[in-house]
Amino acid sequence: MKAADIRAHAFSMPLHSPSYPPGPYRFMDREYLIITYRTDPEALKRVVPAPLECDAPIVKYEFIRMPDSTGFGDYTESGQVIPVSFKGQQGGYVHAMFLDDDPPIAGGRELWGFPKKLATPTLITAHDTLLGTLDYGPVRIATGSMGYKHQALDSAKALAALGEPGFLLKIIPHVDGTPRICELVRYYLSDVTLKGAWSGPAALELHPHALAPVADLPVLEILSAVHLVADLTLNLGEVVHDYLAK
Amino acid sequence: MTSSRDASAPRLPDTAFAMPLVSPSYPRGPYRYTNREHMIVTYRTDPAAIEQAVPEPLVADQPLVRLEFMRMDASTGFGRYSGAAQHIPVQLNGLQGAYTHNMFLDVHAPISGGRELWGFPQKLASPCLKVAHDTLLGTLDYGPERVARATMGYKHRAIDEGSALAMLGEPGFLLKIIPHVDGTPRVCELVQYYRRDIVLKGAWTGPASLDLQPHALAPLADLPVLEVVSSVHLIADFTLELGVVVHDYLA
Repeated sequence: MKAADIRAHAFSMPLHSPSYPPGPYRFMDREYLIITYRTDPEALKRVVPAPLECDAPIVKYEFIRMPDSTGFGDYTESGQVIPVSFKGQQGGYVHAMFLDDDPPIAGGRELWGFPKKLATPTLITAHDTLLGTLDYGPVRIATGSMGYKHQALDSAKALAALGEPGFLLKIIPHVDGTPRICELVRYYLSDVTLKGAWSGPAALELHPHALAPVADLPVLEILSAVHLVADLTLNLGEVVHDYLAK
Repeated sequence: MTSSRDASAPRLPDTAFAMPLVSPSYPRGPYRYTNREHMIVTYRTDPAAIEQAVPEPLVADQPLVRLEFMRMDASTGFGRYSGAAQHIPVQLNGLQGAYTHNMFLDVHAPISGGRELWGFPQKLASPCLKVAHDTLLGTLDYGPERVARATMGYKHRAIDEGSALAMLGEPGFLLKIIPHVDGTPRVCELVQYYRRDIVLKGAWTGPASLDLQPHALAPLADLPVLEVVSSVHLIADFTLELGVVVHDYLA
């Protein structure tokens, strides 16, 4: 293959059959269980990178079903998002994410810098309970539960939460192991169609694991829980801080 | 790395290596493999397909492909996993080596590390290399679908250690591509790497067969099998070294 063709088609590996296609990345009937909890402020300080700032010791634990997404297919995700501010702008720093599908893991890491690993998350309706679980290999590391559609939520509030930016720490090494890319990335969801939003009683249990340390941000108190269903587009991002800039 | 009111020039700790910062998907090397087992079946394919697959400045002298199945029982940092790959024998400025065209693994740590450090074109699938009575059997399933199968008579004839060591001693070539956050190309490089400190524990040949099936996302069959040329079964310890950039397509 000619060098000019390689440059023209270079998007992702392998060149002739990329692990993920170019966007747009549109999600239909994306379903969220988000349990907001209070954690140890010292633990949070250790994991949030400057220049992001944490105003309160709060974590959002998420389970997400994506049954229909362009290019990525049908998959499930679970992880932790920390409410932060960047130069006064409110958003969510994505601290850890676990998925069961390779294209969104590779694409998420390499395009945006989502800190994704392969694991086995689920989000199901078990009779009266909306139930999220996360297994890393054979080990259960998170279980979240919520009463199913107990109270409808104000849709304006739910839309405002989905409209906030996400922040990511994109790190890619050079072929010699030195840092090549080390950037703070900001991204938005767009064209959001909210199909439902509910709250209800919730519980969350996290277990320690060497390679999936979700329990390093311990659950001290459950603050709230929401269940959302929406169509939305995950936009590409922008670099808001370059840690390697001289 | 605490959040700080001073946003003038925040830095990350020197430990920043891979995502996520606090629990990287793969550790720093060295990446040492013990009792790594390979079945490599070399076949002749369509010259036009090879021409399309091999990125210049690499040159393929012959329309040959090596379909390889691998068992990695004990690897530092990556654990226990299996792989399958298509390599194309090539030259770079007269240096003989092999370009990795497709590769599939069943564990995420070496997939993310392989892609992000070296540029191995790895995808998640279900490769398997095992002994089935008299047969060394390699299979590759992508999702629920069988896409490749290789068979070989088990340890029929020992082969010359020199030729096996020569194959393991050749450089590997990779096309590392990483996009920028806006989707434009950020990294587009030809990478060369070596296996070092090789201890060969056995090398054999025997009768072999190959069967490839088409799949939209695992297109091994796009390099069709016209004739099986040779086969080798190897067991070795070695260290997979980091690489060097030998061509930058964006320069």
